[in-house]
Amino acid sequence: MTNLLEVEGLDVRFSGLHALRDVSLTLMPGQIMAVIGPNGAGKTTLFNAISGYVRPSAGSVRLRGHDVARLSPHSIAEHGIRRTFQNGGLFPALTVLENVLTGLHAQTEGSIIDVILGRKQALASEREMITNARALLALMQMEHMADTRAGDLSGGQQRIVEIVRTVASEPPVLLLDEPAVGLSPLARDQMMDIINRMAGEKGVGILLIEHAVELVMAGADRIMVMAAGQRIAEGTPAEIREDRAVLEAYLGHA
Amino acid sequence: MMPTASQLRLRTILFWAVPLLLLALPLSTNSYVQFIANSIVIFSLVALGFNFVIGNLGQLAFANTALFGLGAYGSAILVNTFGLPWILSIPLAGLAGAAGGFLASAAALRGIRLYYLAIITLAFGELMRWLYVHGKSVTGGTDGMGVPAQSIFGVSLTDDHAKFYVFLVVAVLLFKSTLNLLRSRIGRSVMAVRENEVATASLGIPTARIIVFAFMWSGFVVGCAGALFALHTSYVFPESFGMLHLIVSFAMVLVGGLGSVIGSVLGAAALTILPEYLRSFPGMEELFFGLIVIAVLLALPDGLASLLRKLSPIFVERYYRE
Repeated sequence: MTNLLEVEGLDVRFSGLHALRDVSLTLMPGQIMAVIGPNGAGKTTLFNAISGYVRPSAGSVRLRGHDVARLSPHSIAEHGIRRTFQNGGLFPALTVLENVLTGLHAQTEGSIIDVILGRKQALASEREMITNARALLALMQMEHMADTRAGDLSGGQQRIVEIVRTVASEPPVLLLDEPAVGLSPLARDQMMDIINRMAGEKGVGILLIEHAVELVMAGADRIMVMAAGQRIAEGTPAEIREDRAVLEAYLGHA
Repeated sequence: MMPTASQLRLRTILFWAVPLLLLALPLSTNSYVQFIANSIVIFSLVALGFNFVIGNLGQLAFANTALFGLGAYGSAILVNTFGLPWILSIPLAGLAGAAGGFLASAAALRGIRLYYLAIITLAFGELMRWLYVHGKSVTGGTDGMGVPAQSIFGVSLTDDHAKFYVFLVVAVLLFKSTLNLLRSRIGRSVMAVRENEVATASLGIPTARIIVFAFMWSGFVVGCAGALFALHTSYVFPESFGMLHLIVSFAMVLVGGLGSVIGSVLGAAALTILPEYLRSFPGMEELFFGLIVIAVLLALPDGLASLLRKLSPIFVERYYRE
């Protein structure tokens, strides 16, 4: 199988701080890789560097062999690497359906002129996207919420809508920054179920930052452990459980 | 509450029925009332264009009055100097406004936002006004320039009743186009930038280009309104596009409701009619005007449009259409 995402020697420096040191990883289609590590380990910085929000000082990010490092965030997203945000990235004043539709922006056809004049082909494409968006919401049992303002949803519902919006365009690579944080155990299981289905059924390669270790051990195919901006271990959940360096990073002793 | 399917149909009917009924308005007005009605149509467009940037896009922009002036001067110059029929000058004035909107917001492509963008647009606006004053050979300087009498299809456009029909048609077209935009992926992207630009970019949406486009559309609408204004007053001079007018159009947007299309009409109507009533308090007009605006905003922070939304979901805007 060809590699979907190849990150090689990624390095990020903020003035005086070496936030990411020579991080490499490889993600296959349908694979779920969890990124774990103590606070300040550089997990979110890694996501920001891959998705273009932080400019790496060295290294490459290749999507199906095509280098996308140093492109702007919107072009990287257009190429097919999409992400969610730790502190939530919904548009509170827009409805759930309108939020999901923004995720389908690039798929919606019709030039600006077509839109202004309300031409048929633009309207037809818009209608098709609305149907798609509703179907996705139905899949998550959220269709009855379509016309609710996103800001009025509970925290758990907001996380689910954000994920629906992010996967609406069926991106090949998904970066999820703590998708289960603040969720009830039930919602958390539902979330993991969604993530597993996207990987299993659609072949999406998923990088997942998560603090709940039991969740990661059960759900991820591979685990990458970070500390102080570096990758200190990578392997299957069983391998990571036995790793001395990991125990040291987490517990301070072996 | 979102409007139901039947309420949406009723809304579409109302959108066309209201202007159709307004066609009868000139039959019942004297020329003073008609002049005020014409002003309301024009300032509804100014508020609509302004609201697109500050309400829907969520950026502070102060170039709008200058873009309004660009449209007015553009139209006057095309008609006066180049002998173009006034009616043809309307879309060209719109394009001039759009070009001005591009220039005023081009800094957004370099990552400039909010207060910084606001001060740039303010500087751009003052620069334009300086040009109107000092470009004497083209603009007539502080004396301004007149717009000669116009007619279309042999019908004279000298009296306010006749002008109203043309203004109304242009306004309906621009309101319809703006609603088309807002209810599309473009409009949703514009509002997404207001809500969270970082997350918007993560969906593959080129946010800087969306910002510049919003300024250009705003400029187009306001530029067209400028062409109407040139004929409306049949005279353009720099004072019509100064700071005071900027503040008044800003107040129209806030009184009507940020980001609300119908609010733009309500705000423009309220703040165009109000000074007429205040004429009976000479010397106190500005004071009362300011106090009333403040009182309305305290009572209705979301503007007059929020009253309508409470009245019926039919006035709740939905940014998609099936």
